[in-house]
Amino acid sequence: MFPTLDPLLHSELRLAVMSLLISTEEAEFPYIKEQTGATAGNLSVQLDKLSAAGYIEVEKTFKGKKPCTICRITPTGLHAFEQYVKALKTYLKPR
Amino acid sequence: MEENKHATAELTAERSLEIITQQIEQSRRDVSRRTGQSLFVAGLCTMGMAIVVAAVNLILFENGYGGLGHLLWLLLPAVIWLASRQSNKDHEPAPVSIIGKLVGKTWLTFAIFALGIFIVSTIWNSILVRSTTPDVFMANRIMMGPIVILLMCMAVSITGWILKSGWLVWFGIIAGLLFSTGLYTGIGEGIIAHLGTAKSVVMMQYVSPCISVFLIALIGLMLPGLMLKRNK
Repeated sequence: MFPTLDPLLHSELRLAVMSLLISTEEAEFPYIKEQTGATAGNLSVQLDKLSAAGYIEVEKTFKGKKPCTICRITPTGLHAFEQYVKALKTYLKPR
Repeated sequence: MEENKHATAELTAERSLEIITQQIEQSRRDVSRRTGQSLFVAGLCTMGMAIVVAAVNLILFENGYGGLGHLLWLLLPAVIWLASRQSNKDHEPAPVSIIGKLVGKTWLTFAIFALGIFIVSTIWNSILVRSTTPDVFMANRIMMGPIVILLMCMAVSITGWILKSGWLVWFGIIAGLLFSTGLYTGIGEGIIAHLGTAKSVVMMQYVSPCISVFLIALIGLMLPGLMLKRNK
């Protein structure tokens, strides 16, 4: 029997965001937007969902006079991502 | 309502894996590019400063103030900071990584140590030169050149460890030992003494640390920076 894939991560954009953050310490909103090709509105919604689940930490700060949103993966997010990849592997194994 | 292809597309296991691989590779490339850019800019500034210091030392030498040009090294952190800021403005945004932070902290630590040894040795040598005989001064002075070069090569070596670049680690170790020993024992001046005049030997004392710094910055900072920027 196949394990259930975390529904929060099993979405293209949320998975892309988590994969981006996994190998970096933190990333700014414009960078994530550029890399994922998402619209600002949709990305904001998905970041809020990940943040509400405790998978990422969103810090709103200022860079000079400009507002700046910084995202970081949390230990909970890291664990969830690891579990997701583990579960994903079972789907990909040849039967 | 704002919709995006990401939210609606059906996600297969293969596609999930593809997304994960793509994003991780992309962010690693960006981290590598940003770290490379920083090293490249720092290397370029250091090389430029080495040329300026050597030129100023040579000009001032004619007026009897040979070593005074070394004071310009104090400006280097500010020059690198300004140049990095400008260069980051011109490039696309990149994520912050532990690799970039570690490399940055390594060079910051080097800068603090170099500045410390610069201040301590300047004060110590100034006191010594006024209160003792030339022989006592020569035997007890702090030679900051070899110490700073050794610290710089240590930073190069640690950068190599962080970036998993074997040749950079070895370059740091070998260059550190060769250049610091060379400066400490005055091998360069010895060679010049055989070839040139006493004046050229004294001139070499003011210029040789600049040549060492230039070469180390070229191979230890600019070259790895360029390689990282090109993701080689």
